[in-house]
Amino acid sequence: MLAVTDLCARRGDNDVLRGVSLQVSRGERVAVHGPSGCGKTTLLLAIAGLVPVTSGRVTLDGIDVTTMPTHRRGVGMVFQDDQLFPHFNVAENVGYSLRVAGIPKNERKQRVEGWLHRVGLIGFGTRSVDGLSGGEAKRVALARTLAASPSVVLLDEPLTGLDDLLRDRLLNDLRALFDELQTTVVMVTHDRAEAAALSHRAVEFDRLMRD
Amino acid sequence: MTKVAESRSEPWSATGSMQWSAPWSALAPVAWLGVFVILPMATLLTTHVDVADATRVLSRASTRETLWFSAWQAVVSVLFTFALATPVTWLVGRHEFRGRRVLRSVASIGFLLPSIVVSAGFLALLPNDLDTSLFAVFVAHAYFNVAVVLRVVAPRLESLDTRLMWAARTLGAGPLRTVVSVWWPALRGAIVSAGAVIFIYCFSSYAVVRTLGGPSRNTLESDIAVRAYAIGDIGGAVVLSLLQTATIIGVVLLGRRVTNDADFGVRRTRVTLGRLANSRTLIARSIAIVTVAFVLAPLAALAVSSLRVGEQWSIAGWRAVFSGGVIGSTSPLQALWSSARTALVASIFGVVLAVLMSHAVTRLGTRGRRLEVFAMLPLAVSPVTLGLGLIVTFDERWYDWRGAWWFVAVVHTIVAFPLAVRVLVPSWRNVSPVLRDAAAVLGASPARRLLDIDLRLLRPAIVAAIALIGAVSLGEFGAASMLSRSGAETLPVSISRLLGRTGDVVRTQAFVLATLLVVACLAALLVIDGADWRARPSRKASRARSH
Repeated sequence: MLAVTDLCARRGDNDVLRGVSLQVSRGERVAVHGPSGCGKTTLLLAIAGLVPVTSGRVTLDGIDVTTMPTHRRGVGMVFQDDQLFPHFNVAENVGYSLRVAGIPKNERKQRVEGWLHRVGLIGFGTRSVDGLSGGEAKRVALARTLAASPSVVLLDEPLTGLDDLLRDRLLNDLRALFDELQTTVVMVTHDRAEAAALSHRAVEFDRLMRD
Repeated sequence: MTKVAESRSEPWSATGSMQWSAPWSALAPVAWLGVFVILPMATLLTTHVDVADATRVLSRASTRETLWFSAWQAVVSVLFTFALATPVTWLVGRHEFRGRRVLRSVASIGFLLPSIVVSAGFLALLPNDLDTSLFAVFVAHAYFNVAVVLRVVAPRLESLDTRLMWAARTLGAGPLRTVVSVWWPALRGAIVSAGAVIFIYCFSSYAVVRTLGGPSRNTLESDIAVRAYAIGDIGGAVVLSLLQTATIIGVVLLGRRVTNDADFGVRRTRVTLGRLANSRTLIARSIAIVTVAFVLAPLAALAVSSLRVGEQWSIAGWRAVFSGGVIGSTSPLQALWSSARTALVASIFGVVLAVLMSHAVTRLGTRGRRLEVFAMLPLAVSPVTLGLGLIVTFDERWYDWRGAWWFVAVVHTIVAFPLAVRVLVPSWRNVSPVLRDAAAVLGASPARRLLDIDLRLLRPAIVAAIALIGAVSLGEFGAASMLSRSGAETLPVSISRLLGRTGDVVRTQAFVLATLLVVACLAALLVIDGADWRARPSRKASRARSH
């Protein structure tokens, strides 16, 4: 349902993506791994419409979204350093997409509580995001993304920066959550073990390129 | 395999940056500056001055004397300011102690207080034989500008790594040698920069020289006002304006050259400031007490003088103000209302224009940086010259602009505009573009991202900008004294007129109005300081940008 075909993108004067192709089926979790700086994040940004592509196509459920603005694509992304909105509390962060979509306040509140429950953050709603630990912030970012009901979730180095214990716990929780929701996921990581543990299929970034 | 590093700080975001709207948002402020700064200046230059005027004015001995006085009193004022500011700058710049932030805020109060209020404060404070003297002028100039030294030099002192001094000492340098070879190269840029700014303020001083300098002393700025307003010599006033502007531009360019040279090779680091050693506590306390006393004394003198008529304690001044007594054709209550209305309108219009301009500045790359320089244009034109240009330009048009009460507010948006842009631009640059991307992937449209991310994170800076414009408007004297029509004078103009008249109660009324103005400006200062404090946690968070 996600098809990236011969995608090229530049950042500054550099060709970062040179003919990248990737197919991901509905409910499938694909991990793209490769060394830091190879262009993995740019691939996610191009799928989300956050960097302009010079050629190639991105289709979602058969619809060409290559030139569609980001906010209309229905693609969710968890950024490497979460990018939680510092001026909103946890519940406002999680409910942001619902507010944008015009969901009434009461329903929004219920749904936010549901997502916080799912990611193991019951009672965190009124907390400031400034005081969250790395693992908690990652869970809020994930809940915020999933609350938007995206057709594809893009994860950028989802477990980087967490200590081993937190990492293992979050890995298990993510796997269980994605299994339950049948979420389609594209994740990028430099860690082969992480790629293998979280995905159905892991591919080397280099192999996605034309040359 | 592509080996291109993914930049961690490059603001590459395509969707989050709202590039499409940036050029349009610059239109209104650019047009505003075009109509109310460039057009008046062009009108002055093209229709009211010729070579004969220039020769006539420049060949006069009085012009040379005024230029000389403007320059040397500015130099002495710079030295006075540094003498008073150095101890507190050293204390705040090199030490961590309880009350450091409060001391810095209190020492900076003078900068935002209206010049006419400070002048009135020293008039009330100094003994009779000193209250209209050169000494009074120097002290009042220093009062305003201690904040400049503190805000420009102290951050550089803070970032000076002590280990550099240790390195010099271990290599055999004595204390004096260490100062010359380590401290001075690192601080020279900031010191010259602060000195240039203070020189410019003092060189074009108006209210202070007019109130405290006595009748025989004129800077170019006050001479421009006298020529244009009292004598009707517009051509002569324009020539003096050009002379003043040329001198200011010369000082700015010289300052930039020195600071550029000085910045070369200076390494700035974030260092942990040392706690005050016990042996220095007494010195530190003395410095803090003297600084706070220096800042508060004229304000206290104002309040005390507002309660004295002649040699007696009395509330007659306050009663006269609030019973609607008349100064010329304006009652103090009318002046209060006029100032409040002007400040409110100036704040609203000014902040809208400044937000639009700073949006364009932060989104247009190199063109944005040129726009930022353009936005500073009003700083190059003195308020008196601006007022003169506006009189000349808009008195002859199809609409009686000068008769409209809001015209002074328009001028105040111009005077405060560069300062508001300077408050907003760094805050806007601090908003991580990746936060906008995060909002975009959650379904937020460009307009929604602007509202929910940019403007929400900018809220403290916007509040600070509103308060700053309000404070500038409340205290602005140069342009208002030229433009205020009889019956609609602002507070500073009314205070100046009251101080120029005889009679104990009349003079006390001036001190009452000045006290009210101090309270309003201190309230604005609290808002600005509070906004700055509230902005800190979000700045920290929004600074995190990476991919």
